[in-house]
Amino acid sequence: MVSDSITNASIPCPNVKDLGKKKRANRSAKLKQCKLDVRREQWLSQVKKKGCGEEWTGDGLHRDASNGSSENVESRRERGRVEANGPGSIHHDSDLELSPSNSPISLNSILGSNDSGTNYSGSGSSSSSSADCCSGNITEEDDEGGDDGCLDDWEAMADALAANDERPKPPSCPPPPQDLTASNGSGMIVGGENLRSGTRATPAAANTRAWRPDDAFRPQSLPNLTKHHSFPNPSDRRFVNGGISWAGCNRIFNVPTSCPICCEDLDLTDSSFLPCLCGFRLCLFCHKRILEEDGRCPGCRKPYEHNPVEGEASVQGGGLTYRLTRSSSLMARP
Amino acid sequence: MQTSRARLFKEYKEVQREKGADPDIQLVCDDSNIFKWTALIKGPSDTPFEGGVFQLAFAIPEQYPLQPPQVRFLTKIFHPNVHFKTGEICLDILKNAWSPAWTLQSVCRAIIALMAHPEPDSPLNCDSGNLLRSGDIRGYQSMARMYTRLAAMPKKG
Repeated sequence: MVSDSITNASIPCPNVKDLGKKKRANRSAKLKQCKLDVRREQWLSQVKKKGCGEEWTGDGLHRDASNGSSENVESRRERGRVEANGPGSIHHDSDLELSPSNSPISLNSILGSNDSGTNYSGSGSSSSSSADCCSGNITEEDDEGGDDGCLDDWEAMADALAANDERPKPPSCPPPPQDLTASNGSGMIVGGENLRSGTRATPAAANTRAWRPDDAFRPQSLPNLTKHHSFPNPSDRRFVNGGISWAGCNRIFNVPTSCPICCEDLDLTDSSFLPCLCGFRLCLFCHKRILEEDGRCPGCRKPYEHNPVEGEASVQGGGLTYRLTRSSSLMARP
Repeated sequence: MQTSRARLFKEYKEVQREKGADPDIQLVCDDSNIFKWTALIKGPSDTPFEGGVFQLAFAIPEQYPLQPPQVRFLTKIFHPNVHFKTGEICLDILKNAWSPAWTLQSVCRAIIALMAHPEPDSPLNCDSGNLLRSGDIRGYQSMARMYTRLAAMPKKG
């Protein structure tokens, strides 16, 4: 079964690579990243829910070093690093195996046939349940989303991650089947790695350059990111609890601008505050100061109305549309 | 105070980042005082100020950006809306039409636009304003060009 899936999976290699190239060239990659982030957040909350519940506890012994589900989710990004640590992290490896199952999902959608859950479940008994659960989550979500727009980005990220540990390996060498048949705990991991290298090593090599410089997480070339929120030491962020760092990402994407008057960052209240119909946004503090002085909107110079329009404050999911309205309002600025 | 400093610092970074983006404007912050700026602007083409480089001095109040910066010409210029001796500029956006959304860069652009489109009906330089108002465009242009040559162009020889 597994070897079957390998041959299946190695087919779309050039295809995936082409897609990745196109995406990188595309300026709308940022937009996609926004979507991706929103979706990631949903996924995270889902995983968190389940992680605290009964599903993850089954293989708790494997994750003695991990702090919990949130860390586990976070470790999706760290996978490459952890695996590079060597044999000490074999157990880690085995649960990390399941967390990047987003990448098989995108393969799934491309191939339309390959089920990642079964690939991994055949090998390890303890991790199989959680792998199933995790990948199940994502597949569900992808189905719900219905929009395939960001699948390529999922793939690209997974490739970048996979590239960390698999670069030395030759791109196209399907593992001999006897490796997999003699599967105990470690054999499973080798099989899994080989499988992954077999499927995605080629695009990974290309993707590394695009994603790597700012630590395999997001292209630095995107506008507005470096402007307000540069990451001085990304290594710090890795060890933060998953929820917080995800929140940080969302902040970068959804509320990237600061108040045009005082240049302080807009918090959630500020960014849901729309004091003038012309769409000029500013922080509450500056608004109050302006009201104390001449009381005219900086954007259109009309006097402020007394009942400010409350912005379309939607914390969840609405971040993307929200961001778009903001940017258009900024463009309208004199 | 803190607000104005933060805002000016951001404008400074913006200026550094977009250096050369607008070749007509060169904004420089004082080394020791972020509330003092100078700017070099090029006289707009098809005006008597073409070819000249004019220096502006910015004095920024602590209430900036709620209050407009005070700008004046350091280079002599013959223009109806610029005081010939002090260099004071009569421009609505530097007075009552100021908006905190404006930046030093946009003020420079506004001044360049003012150079190209004088408003002789609210003159600070009456001689210049009278020439324009009496329809003596040629007289205005030759006077303005002369002062541009004298004051705003590098001396030859």
